[in-house]
Amino acid sequence: MNSASHYDFTKQFFQLNGCKIDEDKPKQMKVKLTKEMDEALMNRPFYWHYIKKMNREGETLSLTFKDISLGEAEEGIYLHGGTPKLQQIYQVALEKGYTARLYEAVETDNQNLALHPWLCLNMRVTFRGKQSKDLLLSLGLNLINGAMVHEAMPKLIKLDLTSKVSDYTFPMTPLIKMESGYKRLLRNIELHLETLDTQWAVESLQQLRYEQELLESFYNSKDVDTDQYEKELEQLHVRYQPRIHLQVANGGLIYLTSETSQNMLRTQI
Amino acid sequence: MIEIHQDSDFLPQFSNRLDESNALCSFEEFKLAWQGLKLQSIPQFEGVLALEQLPHIQFLDHQVDACERVVHEMSGRAILADEVGLGKTLEAGLILKEYMIRGMVKKVLILTPASLVNQWTQELSEKFYIQAASPRKKHADWRNWDITVTSIDMAKREQHQEEILSMTYDMIIIDEAHKLKNHKTKNFQFVKQLKKTYCLLLTATPIQNQLSDLFNLVSILKPGYLGDLTEFKKKYKNTSLEESQTQQHVHSLLGKLMIRNLRKDTGLDTSKRKVKNITLSFNDEEQWFYNELEKLKTNYPSFTWLTLAKEFCSSREACFMSLKALNEKSPSDFKEQLMNKLGELPHHTKAQKMADLIEESGEKFIVFTEYRATQFYLQWFLQQRGISSVPFSGKFNKSKRDWMKQLFKTRAQVMIATEAGAEGINLQFCHNMINYDLPWNPMRLEQRIGRIHRFGQEKDVNVFNFAIKNTLEDQILTLLYEKIKLFQNAVGDLDSILEQIPGGNFEKHVQSILQESESQGEIDIKLRNLVSYVEYSVEERKESG
Repeated sequence: MNSASHYDFTKQFFQLNGCKIDEDKPKQMKVKLTKEMDEALMNRPFYWHYIKKMNREGETLSLTFKDISLGEAEEGIYLHGGTPKLQQIYQVALEKGYTARLYEAVETDNQNLALHPWLCLNMRVTFRGKQSKDLLLSLGLNLINGAMVHEAMPKLIKLDLTSKVSDYTFPMTPLIKMESGYKRLLRNIELHLETLDTQWAVESLQQLRYEQELLESFYNSKDVDTDQYEKELEQLHVRYQPRIHLQVANGGLIYLTSETSQNMLRTQI
Repeated sequence: MIEIHQDSDFLPQFSNRLDESNALCSFEEFKLAWQGLKLQSIPQFEGVLALEQLPHIQFLDHQVDACERVVHEMSGRAILADEVGLGKTLEAGLILKEYMIRGMVKKVLILTPASLVNQWTQELSEKFYIQAASPRKKHADWRNWDITVTSIDMAKREQHQEEILSMTYDMIIIDEAHKLKNHKTKNFQFVKQLKKTYCLLLTATPIQNQLSDLFNLVSILKPGYLGDLTEFKKKYKNTSLEESQTQQHVHSLLGKLMIRNLRKDTGLDTSKRKVKNITLSFNDEEQWFYNELEKLKTNYPSFTWLTLAKEFCSSREACFMSLKALNEKSPSDFKEQLMNKLGELPHHTKAQKMADLIEESGEKFIVFTEYRATQFYLQWFLQQRGISSVPFSGKFNKSKRDWMKQLFKTRAQVMIATEAGAEGINLQFCHNMINYDLPWNPMRLEQRIGRIHRFGQEKDVNVFNFAIKNTLEDQILTLLYEKIKLFQNAVGDLDSILEQIPGGNFEKHVQSILQESESQGEIDIKLRNLVSYVEYSVEERKESG
């Protein structure tokens, strides 16, 4: 997770989204945004609303990014962990790549090669309490025979997948409905979560109770008004209440040959 | 016990999009999203993830520890109270960065004295690649700026206040937080109203006058933590050092929300302090004038004499300005005479010594004085001797301050600063300091020295304290500074003691002794008593632990 990988990621992101890179240097790039990216990243809804009303084209902005080896004086936004713009770009990348239907590209003379449907979910599990961390899970479920794999995405990345069905292949209709497939995967995740250590949650709760008691004693002695009391109480929950958020970061219906489907189960990464 | 929040959005949306073949993405986009997810996610609870991303900064152990403790033990609400020069700003920056990397903090408000806004913005950008905005005259976009650095005065202005208070900040950082000690002030009320999740208060002197100062700081972080104010006051109103039990109680409570590193504990002593007290004698004419001044004591409150005498120890000019102002209010022949005499005096003894010292060494010097008139005079005087100098004052605007610092770094040999410049300017490239006149409060001297004897100083630091024999200054130096062994001990031990002397803090005591005493002898005795009280307290503290 070094600075260079942020830089590469950002460049790829804009290229993929049809933005022209006006200046393309190893440490600095200037990106001319498309209308879509301008709306997503520049936070100026009023401008676009106005342009639309006036029935005009509108002028998109450019963004300049720089590597951290460049100093203060150079123009540009730093691409470095935690940078707000970068977080925003991650977010847009996730929105853009939220759902997919993909087919394995095959060249075959074999008429009627069947492709198995897989439901693939990339999950972000966020543990939040006194401290916080994420767990990334990538699960795949064969919707014909119910086979399940972990670490699905690292395997899929290596394949050649496209949005179009290859000639002479046909996607099979799932035997397991999408909804029950989804439920199976989630149940699997929940089972996994139950096996994890919960010490963090115990500690968070202890802390929460302790702080809550203090706050209440203060409130009861009338040194703090109701408004402030409620504000603080809410804050205590934000900071200490142990909770787990299960979020599907993105997911896809992916059709793979039976051979690849077999390999999905076998290959260890 | 653990709340589990399911994702109810995905499935309906996914089914919908599949049915309508709508908004489905390409494989490239699908992969990029996954990659972004990996870059964004935080794999572990523990540790300081920011370190790995900031390999160019050599953080000291105590700074990393501070970050770990604040993030993992104190849950992001803490008082950072390291001694001056140990890098509190760096600690705060590291904590902020850590939270940002962990994706827990996006919206940040940093409140600093106006004179430090620039420095904060610069350090955050240069060291942490955190690009912060600060409002200029008319331009302020509180809502859209992620990270804003500004002064409390700016933030609480009518046109801004409402908007700021309507927002929820993930983190608030307040520098020089000891200025919030009074809970009745508007600043305090304003800060208290801010909606915040995490909060860092930075101060080198958490306790200035009374323990209740600290109470107010704590109540910003954790209302109720020290009980309620009325109770607290009752309990600790007359806290003296004999009641070590109460002290211990407060200390143990504080340990959970305050980080205080002392210079001596951090192994930061690679750069040593060499302090030299230089006592000079007035020449005959000056001594005569100093004695003449004492005649004022008969007709004026002793405070007037005190001010003038102290000014005269600094420069003719400083004294002249006050005399003139006094004479305009109530003209008298005697004052006229004094003013005329003042004009005839030769160059100030101290000024000559200062110039000699600087000439001899040939190195860069920072000179501190309490008076602006002296500042002007010294600049002129150095120029006469062919020594280049720049003035500095915290009252300069941003660009002027930066420019002066730059000039001092690259061209001028000397910087002449007034007290107002003692906060928030870092001059590690200089390692000589002259305290041209001495403040009554040893803590303030510590702040001055902290400008050059701080994190990043590679050479030993020379500090020269000027005082004139048989004057007030002499008394301050011998009694207050030498006896208390200020310079050998870190002030860390001392500051809480100096601030908690029954009946007011140290500075107030000194002032009232000087003002109220009838004679030299009385001053001496009273000061000695004060000093021995402090010594006694230090010893007692050492023994107890």
